[in-house]
Amino acid sequence: MKKDRKDSVINNAGPDRSLSRQQSRRKFLLKTGGLVAAGAFGAVPLRGWAADPVNIGALYPTTGSMAQIGVGCVAAAKLAIEMVNDAGGIKSLGGAKLNLILSDVQSDTTVTRTETDRLITGNKLSAIHGCFASALTLIASEVCERAKVPIITGSSSDQLNKGRTYTFTPFARASQFARAQLQMSKLVSDTPKVAVIFENTAFGTSTSNGLKELAPGEGVEIVMFEPYSAGFTDASPLINKVKSSGANALFSVSYLNDLILIVRTVKQVGLNIAINGGSGGFVIPDFYKNVGKLAEGLQGVAHWNHDMDPNAEKVNTEYKKRTGEFLFEYAGGLVAQTFMLADALERAGSADPQKVREALSALDVSSGYAAMAPGGKVKFGPDGKNVYGRPVGVQWQNGDLASVFPKEDARAPLMKT
Amino acid sequence: MWETVAQAVINGLLIGGIYALVSIGVTLIFGVVKIVNFAQGEFVMIGMYISFFLANQFGVDPLVSLVVSMPVLFVVGVLIQHFLIRRVLGPNDMPQIFLTFALSLLLLNLALMLFTANYRTVHTSYSDEAFHIVGLYIPVAKLIAFGVAMLLSAALWVFLHTTDLGKAMRAAAQNRDVAMLMGINPNRVFCVALGIALALAGAAGSLLMPFYSAYPFVGQVFVLMAFVAVVMGTLGNVIGALVASLLMGVAESLGIQYVGADSGLIVVFALLLLTLAFKPTGLGGKAR
Repeated sequence: MKKDRKDSVINNAGPDRSLSRQQSRRKFLLKTGGLVAAGAFGAVPLRGWAADPVNIGALYPTTGSMAQIGVGCVAAAKLAIEMVNDAGGIKSLGGAKLNLILSDVQSDTTVTRTETDRLITGNKLSAIHGCFASALTLIASEVCERAKVPIITGSSSDQLNKGRTYTFTPFARASQFARAQLQMSKLVSDTPKVAVIFENTAFGTSTSNGLKELAPGEGVEIVMFEPYSAGFTDASPLINKVKSSGANALFSVSYLNDLILIVRTVKQVGLNIAINGGSGGFVIPDFYKNVGKLAEGLQGVAHWNHDMDPNAEKVNTEYKKRTGEFLFEYAGGLVAQTFMLADALERAGSADPQKVREALSALDVSSGYAAMAPGGKVKFGPDGKNVYGRPVGVQWQNGDLASVFPKEDARAPLMKT
Repeated sequence: MWETVAQAVINGLLIGGIYALVSIGVTLIFGVVKIVNFAQGEFVMIGMYISFFLANQFGVDPLVSLVVSMPVLFVVGVLIQHFLIRRVLGPNDMPQIFLTFALSLLLLNLALMLFTANYRTVHTSYSDEAFHIVGLYIPVAKLIAFGVAMLLSAALWVFLHTTDLGKAMRAAAQNRDVAMLMGINPNRVFCVALGIALALAGAAGSLLMPFYSAYPFVGQVFVLMAFVAVVMGTLGNVIGALVASLLMGVAESLGIQYVGADSGLIVVFALLLLTLAFKPTGLGGKAR
């Protein structure tokens, strides 16, 4: 048995037959380890191009509770890399191709820390993008900060812009979402009377308090402000209250299950009210799959939408062909991010992460795939925030998300429900 | 004003019907077999998934899939009694508690593994419809669920009071030792009790599916209410559990309407405390 294994080791080692056994075993482990890693993380294999490829790390949860979105992100990340490479790679680096190195952060904060560390120490990276959930991105960006590797992310937490110099956020911040939501209520009525109902844990209370604080400044009257306990069996009493409050717009800060119940009950009551479900799980294809026709006319906010410009539509078509679903905000955003990285690499003329960071902070684009963002312009301020960043108001129309707000980003008229 | 109250009462009664199906199962098992089935909620969950997959794969209406979920869970109940619970019945309660609790955890995590934590919803033509009468509305799906729940409860009552097997079950519930001395085969009675209880949970699952989402933890929502109803309606008393479930539904609904949307359960538990303070044996008096 033992003999057999040694033989196979030598066979695997190939040209290293002449080396001592110990060395060949180490080689073997390295190789198989690399092979396993390549298989597990779906690394794009080298194809023998002239210039050294530029390594881009991608941290996404492809297992665990956030896997569904993470898998979509990975599909978009691969698509984006292909697009850059097919267009000739990084010209200032002799046409160097981008090489995507994927890592599964398993929807877990601890794993995110170790995986980010492993990704940075184990590879010569020029930049990283990830991780979808703000809770995960906050940790990854910390690690990147210490390792001095730039990270670009679509995560919306405002904390990502505090005391960090290697983190870049090209899209709208969480604080901007609440304001956009309030402004959207004015599309429905000149005198918006908003009922805010929210699940009574951290997520619901913090989001709804943001809405409450901003409402007077936006000229929006909040006529009902009611916490509820998530996972209720019956939304009827709650909707009864909304009905008697006389509201003409309903902001529901809810988990999916409760939101479905709320939407259904509103329909049953026959209440004519515009519902705004916010962002996150509300603006992904899965939401429509779960809610079906009932989702029609529901409003939300997103940091990216596929109908923003012809480039975004083009990417959306390709993504749809591959996955069967439309390009949702986070995945679409990260395609734009990949092109921002390519732009920075082009100008840096180097794969050195420090130089890439310098080039990113000087980024200023208003056309092409890198400028696929609401407003169509990206330029980072000293805090890594896109100075032009703003959210886009969306509405479910015919099973798809249509941009309806603000006026300059609107691609379809608001459907009255 | 009266409309708001009436609407809240209607909402409460309708959801109370579903609570009743779950709590009748729990109380039946407790009354006859003398064990607390902590996994009852998970069987509601299984019933929901059965209906979901039948609807999703074959387009079967969730209400029609009742004829599948109930027999399947009946058989599951018989098997669980015969192969698991029978082995732990004895003077010591601990193994029984651990058994059903472990069963609950096992089923929950199995569901997480097989179905993931995603919410599954079925759309039927009547899911979003409601009858509107004099300013009140009655959701169709819930009305059907309530109606079927009441029919099943009535059928159970008839079964318990008119058939030999039903009488044997009541006898076993009243005094197991004497019942055994009278020649009643306990395992057979227990198997049927478990089967019926789980079939009711399965029915609750199928009836919920047109208006509620299925997910692995969904049973926990209903089992908590069921335990309260079982205690309030006197342990082992089927009619008591039914009445208590309806009462709790109404209490919860009124609580949400007049106390606060996150305080529905507070009112329910206040009601439970009051009941226990003034009528410690529960509303039902004694096991029947």
